[in-house]
Amino acid sequence: MRPPVERLLADWIASGTRGIGQIRITQSGGIFSLCHREDEGRSDLAVHRSPNDAIEIAKYTDAGEYRPLKTAPNLRRGWWLELPDVEALQRALDFFYPGRLAALAVWEANRLAPTPLRATLERQTGMYRVAAKIPDGGIDQLVGRFCRSQDGEPGCLRTIMWARDGTKARPSLRLPLDKYIAPVDQTGRGENVIPLLCQEACNLLVAEARKVVKSE
Amino acid sequence: MISQGDAALLITGHGSTVNPDSSAPSLAQAEAIRNRRIFREVVCSFWKEEPSLRDALLLFGDPEIREVYVVPNFISEGYFTQTVIPRELELEGSLTRRANGQLWKYCEPVGSHSAVTELLLARAAEIAPGVEEAETTLLIVGHGTALNDQSAVAAKRQVDKISALGRYASVQSAYMEEPPLIADWPRLTTTPNVVVVPFFISDGLHSYEDIPVLLGIEKEGAMAATRLRGVFRSNPHRLHGRALYYANAIGTAPQFADIILAQAENFERCTLDLGAPAQTVSS
Repeated sequence: MRPPVERLLADWIASGTRGIGQIRITQSGGIFSLCHREDEGRSDLAVHRSPNDAIEIAKYTDAGEYRPLKTAPNLRRGWWLELPDVEALQRALDFFYPGRLAALAVWEANRLAPTPLRATLERQTGMYRVAAKIPDGGIDQLVGRFCRSQDGEPGCLRTIMWARDGTKARPSLRLPLDKYIAPVDQTGRGENVIPLLCQEACNLLVAEARKVVKSE
Repeated sequence: MISQGDAALLITGHGSTVNPDSSAPSLAQAEAIRNRRIFREVVCSFWKEEPSLRDALLLFGDPEIREVYVVPNFISEGYFTQTVIPRELELEGSLTRRANGQLWKYCEPVGSHSAVTELLLARAAEIAPGVEEAETTLLIVGHGTALNDQSAVAAKRQVDKISALGRYASVQSAYMEEPPLIADWPRLTTTPNVVVVPFFISDGLHSYEDIPVLLGIEKEGAMAATRLRGVFRSNPHRLHGRALYYANAIGTAPQFADIILAQAENFERCTLDLGAPAQTVSS
């Protein structure tokens, strides 16, 4: 029996999903082919055949900058990745978007318990402990610019599942409501894609919250 | 012995938001261990990269996985192994039973394993082939920090073990941020040959730039990563009338995959000895 995440992926593919994040997924003759959604139809792409190649593809932007946040909308272009089966597809997607399929599997099983941002911040120790002092208005601004799907700094294609605090308030009113709705294609293309769910603020956001507090 | 089929391995690393080489050893070792097909699943998670330590709580949803071995890919016990990893993974001691019955086993960090001494010796011999050890000082460089003394303690422990072998003229530890400072190496050493091995898990700005600058083999300032990596290939460096040999971080050795496995196996031995009780958390 297939592990749950593999089953989930096979179900999404069978349902006609067109991809995930910035990646187009097509299937032909049992082979899965991946490319950047902006590269569809190009015939001059560099062909790769190992799921591990996703590590290098996802590492740098087109400008050669390191990508610490894999769900930032800056995946580089120019590559074509062919994979022989769902297991290899899962492995590659776990390198492109680490942890996102696992979060989706838990969500689909109705067991995802997102952590409110305040709980994440208050849990910090050491140099990040101070981040908890960020006011609600600061969170509104920070999340509004940092997590924005498009034109953010750096921006992120995840769907935010976590609330600001125990009141279940949205962390930022500066983001469109779609940013909080799981099935929405965060690239703005309105296609049927596998959502990238964010169950808890990332360490990058915690570090930014610290910067906000320190600058005040 | 780790049971086949129902056990998973979680390698936890620091990672970096600026340096892609930080997570590279963990990813490479995970791949090497995955290929041995001992575990049903082998994954990495990082403090500063994805999947995060928090994501790791969701990574083992396969009901066939009954045990998860957590091995910190850290050079020593310290703030991360004692505070950050247990907090983020919601561990309540060496054994944590999850609500679904899964048992998480928190192992010792790789740097604590006795085989690390052998790897330090092998790395030193590799970068200074044919160099007479009796005329050589081996310098083990740790980070060193006033905040947590554990990394310095780990480096000193290696010094004691290698000194006891009586092979090198001198074996010393030195640090970036606390005395004895690595920048003082010309004064700390008297031998014609000096071999410097960074006691770090991965290569990064410390091993590419900070330590080479402190040693005097590179000038301060931003350099391209490709140029920085070249610092390991130009041995020996002739400075202060000595031959200085500089290695890359010890944790990049592929043998660390074996050490990760050994730490998982050691967990079984240690808990059998101690009879540690399982604890239950509600997550």
